[in-house]
Amino acid sequence: MTSRCPNCGSACEGSPKFCTHCGGRLGEPSPSPYEAPAVAHLTSATSMVDRAAPSGAGSMERLQCRWCDGQNPTQATTCQMCGAPLDVRDVVSDSGWREAPRLRDMTEFKFSTSTCQVEGDVVPVAEINLGTGDSVFFEHHVLLWKDDKVGLGVMALSGGIKRVLAGMPFVISVATGPGRIAFSRDQTGELVVLPLHPGMELDVREHAFLLGSQHIDYSFVQIKGLRNILFGGQGMFMDRFVTRGQSGLVILHGYGNVLERRLKAGESVILEPGAFLYKDSSVTMNVETQPLTTGWFGGVSMNLARMTGPGRVGIQSMYVHHATS
Amino acid sequence: MSRYTCAWCSAQSDGTQPACPACGAQVDVRAVVSESGWTEMPPRLDMARIQLGRSSCQIEGKYVPVADLNLADGDGVYFAHHVLLWMDPTVKISVMKMAGAWKRMFAGMPLIMTQAHGPGHVAFSVDAAGEMIALPLQQGQSVDVREHMFVVATHSVAYEWFASNVWYTTGSGDDTETHYPVGMFVDRFHAKDGPGLLLLHTSGNVFVRNLAPGESILVKPGALCFKDPSVNMLLHFEYPSTPLMSWFGMSWANRYLWLRLVGPGRVAVRSAFETPEDPATSVSSSSYSTQHHW
Repeated sequence: MTSRCPNCGSACEGSPKFCTHCGGRLGEPSPSPYEAPAVAHLTSATSMVDRAAPSGAGSMERLQCRWCDGQNPTQATTCQMCGAPLDVRDVVSDSGWREAPRLRDMTEFKFSTSTCQVEGDVVPVAEINLGTGDSVFFEHHVLLWKDDKVGLGVMALSGGIKRVLAGMPFVISVATGPGRIAFSRDQTGELVVLPLHPGMELDVREHAFLLGSQHIDYSFVQIKGLRNILFGGQGMFMDRFVTRGQSGLVILHGYGNVLERRLKAGESVILEPGAFLYKDSSVTMNVETQPLTTGWFGGVSMNLARMTGPGRVGIQSMYVHHATS
Repeated sequence: MSRYTCAWCSAQSDGTQPACPACGAQVDVRAVVSESGWTEMPPRLDMARIQLGRSSCQIEGKYVPVADLNLADGDGVYFAHHVLLWMDPTVKISVMKMAGAWKRMFAGMPLIMTQAHGPGHVAFSVDAAGEMIALPLQQGQSVDVREHMFVVATHSVAYEWFASNVWYTTGSGDDTETHYPVGMFVDRFHAKDGPGLLLLHTSGNVFVRNLAPGESILVKPGALCFKDPSVNMLLHFEYPSTPLMSWFGMSWANRYLWLRLVGPGRVAVRSAFETPEDPATSVSSSSYSTQHHW
């Protein structure tokens, strides 16, 4: 009897469970690590009418970004809202982790009346060309350069003493256009562009955000539970970004490579706490201690964070490892 | 039927897959070999999949790669606990028993080795930019690895360690300092129960070379990644000609410290490494070494 591998097409003698050529499971196709970008078919009844469409066309095609769900013209090669390449397939592991889109050098995208250009790929720079009256907020240590005319101010924040005690920046700076201003962080990594739509809440590891746009409310939430504070690797607080009435943009910098996974309701994944980068506020985080005993030498305890859905979880592959206790 | 032989791990496959199923190396590129005989580690496709019997491994990412293992029920791997990135709740972790805990502790090696058992996914990464090296080991094959480079290995690969016997001392009396340019110990991985996979992490680029019997090469001690056990290593001191310093009896202050690797066998070096501290004082004693005065 010969089985045909659905993954590589090879013929396998006998009835093995796995392909003798590629190792793929026989009887069910191996998931491709690549998912094609979705093309959203919108009718002319929607507000998204492409006026450049041929006359008489009853429907039109728009290209939907699989990273941020932004709608783009079919000829676009990068998403206008987040800069993700639209002409390459998504890279998804067998386990469901999806790589953050690798932004092309000099990719440009828009928010409000401003634009952002991403420069470089090892330690990328986010260069913002602020429109008049537009503003972005940031922690001052990520500032790289700016035009003279870009105004700088400070965001009014409550809980200043708590922030100082927790090691968070005492002030959040605000830059107001017109003019150009650029940001980068101090390590090899990736920029993660996260457009936030009304009603979205995003929790981010402290010091990991590069900038946020003006329509986003910035606050911080206290991590609940002493164990979570002591062993969770986040400190006492996480940054929280909430949209007001309008969409906004948050750009993060993850160390190493950034991977994202969508957890279903009740689904869990266990993380090294230092790997956590961001999550939807609907995802819960609880630190669990794994004892590792070594007989005469006592042993150590490994603290791991259980993330439970529903929602997105983002991790960074070059993480801050926290010593075992 | 035509067969494809991987330039990196020599595994045979039909070549129809974009990556070698044994090590994940890209198959549609030629081996890049320098005129001096060093073979560059082949590029790895993002999401390259390596098959390990019923389990599999995917290597994800470009700057700080992640090794994502899908362990079948009953399959296991072991690792130093600080490289664990994430895991499914179904994966069970425990401690692997190891002998020589005192020596390991004094040598700065991880005191415990952690093991994970399937079913489920478990992923590993090292908190530094670099490259993930996949070394498939055939049954009976061994490899010696510089300490702190190990990421994860399948249970069919046995883990041992031995004294490097590469050392020298400087100073005298109470001021005597002993230096271990390749570490006090070397990890040895041996596939005794069947084929297995070993994953290492290193910074910079990795180059491999096969030394003929008796052939030797000098490398900087910090550059050594791994070698076949048949390759011997010893220290080599080289003293350049420094007439002015010789007049003052200080010719020892300007020396080059090398690691001499003698074949037969495979050796691998990395292009980014830390230079071991070498105080500018005379060498009072050393393990077996050679030297040359110019």
